[in-house]
Amino acid sequence: MTAQAQGISHKKELGSSGLLSWLMTVDHKRIGILYIISAFVFFLFGGTEALLMRLQLAQPNNTFLTPDLYNQIFTMHGTTMIFLVVMPLSAGFGNYIVPIMIGARDMAFPKLNALSYWTFLFGSVFMYSSFLFGGAPNDGWFSYAPLTEKVFSPTHGMDFWIVGILMLGFATTIGSINFIVTIIQLRAPGMTLTKMPVFVWTTFVTSFLAVFSLPSLTTAVLLLLFDRQLGAHFYNVAEGGSALLWQHLFWFFGHPEVYILILPAMGIVSTVVPVFSSKPLLGYPAVVLSSVSIGFLAFVVWAHHMFATGMPETALLFFAADTFLISAPTGVLFFSWLGTMWNSKLRFDTPMLFSLGFVALFLIGGLDGIHLAVVPVDWQLTDSYYVIGHIHYVLFGGAIFGLFSGIYYWFEKITGRSLSEAIGKWHFWFMFIGMNMVFMPMHFLGLAGMPRRIYTYGTGRGWEIWNFIETIGALIIAVSILIFVVNFFVSIFKPATNKEDPWDATTLEWTTSSPPPNYNFAEIPTVRSRRPLWDQKHPDLADWKMDT
Amino acid sequence: MSSAATVQAKNKVSTGRIALFITLGAESIFFITLLVAYAALRDEVTWNVSHTLTRLAIPLINTAILLVSVITAWSSTRAIRRNEQASLRSRLLTTLLLGLIFVIGQIYDFSNAGLQINDPSFGGVFFTLMGFHAVHVLAGVVFLALNYIRANWGDFSSTRYEAVELGNWFWYYVAGVWLVLFVVLYLI
Repeated sequence: MTAQAQGISHKKELGSSGLLSWLMTVDHKRIGILYIISAFVFFLFGGTEALLMRLQLAQPNNTFLTPDLYNQIFTMHGTTMIFLVVMPLSAGFGNYIVPIMIGARDMAFPKLNALSYWTFLFGSVFMYSSFLFGGAPNDGWFSYAPLTEKVFSPTHGMDFWIVGILMLGFATTIGSINFIVTIIQLRAPGMTLTKMPVFVWTTFVTSFLAVFSLPSLTTAVLLLLFDRQLGAHFYNVAEGGSALLWQHLFWFFGHPEVYILILPAMGIVSTVVPVFSSKPLLGYPAVVLSSVSIGFLAFVVWAHHMFATGMPETALLFFAADTFLISAPTGVLFFSWLGTMWNSKLRFDTPMLFSLGFVALFLIGGLDGIHLAVVPVDWQLTDSYYVIGHIHYVLFGGAIFGLFSGIYYWFEKITGRSLSEAIGKWHFWFMFIGMNMVFMPMHFLGLAGMPRRIYTYGTGRGWEIWNFIETIGALIIAVSILIFVVNFFVSIFKPATNKEDPWDATTLEWTTSSPPPNYNFAEIPTVRSRRPLWDQKHPDLADWKMDT
Repeated sequence: MSSAATVQAKNKVSTGRIALFITLGAESIFFITLLVAYAALRDEVTWNVSHTLTRLAIPLINTAILLVSVITAWSSTRAIRRNEQASLRSRLLTTLLLGLIFVIGQIYDFSNAGLQINDPSFGGVFFTLMGFHAVHVLAGVVFLALNYIRANWGDFSSTRYEAVELGNWFWYYVAGVWLVLFVVLYLI
């Protein structure tokens, strides 16, 4: 109550629209926009890096990039896409949408929210500045020790990476604590946990995952920093350290991280699919329970990234079995999306296309993930292009398609203008086709034995044709992103339409104007079902009347 | 509308309290992963067993100091619940001074432990665990000092003392972590 009252008072200074008001803002909507724009700029960086790699690999024995530059670029591509793109994009939507979805006026701690954004931005810029100081980090996004020790990585790239990760981890941790407290404390009257929108649920679970997995990464990089700068020996086997310690600490963070990246996108898909099917989400309790159990399981599967390190057989069995277990709750989500669409009048607007793309591509990513959970298969395929194909079906076909679905879905709410449907469909089809051209052949290359992270390869192994097709696919993805940028500018320069509810949606953010006023709601709404806006539009068919 | 009433009633749980407990949860994972790292390193065949800590005098005194400071912290919460402003101030001051004495004792112990951070095996573990704990003690001292300043301004009353409570809980947590570290590093 008091927090909401403060929510109104601290916004007095936000009437102006100058640059300073954006630098000083503590408004969740503006911070959300800052997150989304920054993440998109880094998406262009990370995408350019991917394109450079594909150009280098287009032909055998290519000399477009030097080996060392290639190492820096794949390291920064992975780090960028994970820490500077998908996480902040999800945080951006969480910031903008979650408070409005739960009927609040702001986050629980608006100033902490601003601190979180600026720490993220400075951490990202800091990491990228390494290109100016003797070279970027070049040991891959998971920075295995002892390769990252000073002896083997003498440049300052790794130090930039470590300090950057510490800043990004801090930003995400306080941001996540803010989400958790906001969702617990600031829900509108009547919005019990069982009436909370699915996107709010997935943000809630994601935040817990971040808060409880990031400390492990913090520990890992601090120990590495002490090794590199103070001469400690945590990862130095010769002096009593352990080489595997890094892998355990890193993946105890790294696997929950995968769900930190995918769960918000799953929440977006679970929001978009019912709206464009004109039906409530099938099996809401099952979807919520599945999301929560994915969250729990995420903490006990980390060593499936380490099958090749020579673990005891019991450990192999345990980590393989619980990895299979994760496909159960994930399968529940698929049945819910398919069941929601079953027998309903589907509308194929762009947000829906991207969500359908998510469902199709994430399924492939899930299935080839199951292949990798089979220990002997993993021994064969680990560190091959098969793994790269898998992670990109999950994180590009999954997370990025889901987030683009969110961008098209909420664009009018955030800007008061709509993205062109015609251009949007071109964007979708280019991205969908390009994506499959790049990442499907990676499976074939992996099976044919092509290792990841090599800067070039010889002729005669049968790798040339697939690598060439992948590079063409990467260029098609680049065109699709250009189409999106065109779409963005076309719509920004169109007159505002300010449609409150363009998609005939059901959640609270569509009851406000587009964009919403500073205080979101003049009067805090009272919620009686999972679809408050549906109740409002159809008083006779209101969900809460049906329930009783 | 019983459900609406539930949500409203729930808002009486303080927002700061939830935030602090989640933060302490994250801190616990941090210390646990450090301890797990220690356990993993002890398991390595190259672990150097020659380093064990035998000088128990200062750690024992420090343990006693922290335990006393927990009591004075707890009693400062009790004081403000009864709106006893003077005893709130004195107890907060005592607690934070005891915290500072603890840190000085730790620094003395660090320089006399006969260890370097770049020693094989135990040196890195000792300074990392103890160092991060000392940093948390200093953070707790800052928290207590802010509360002490606000207490001097008369910011707290028997109905308004959340910051005092949160600062003290952080203090109990830091003391609890010390007990675990003391047992693990000095006694086991």
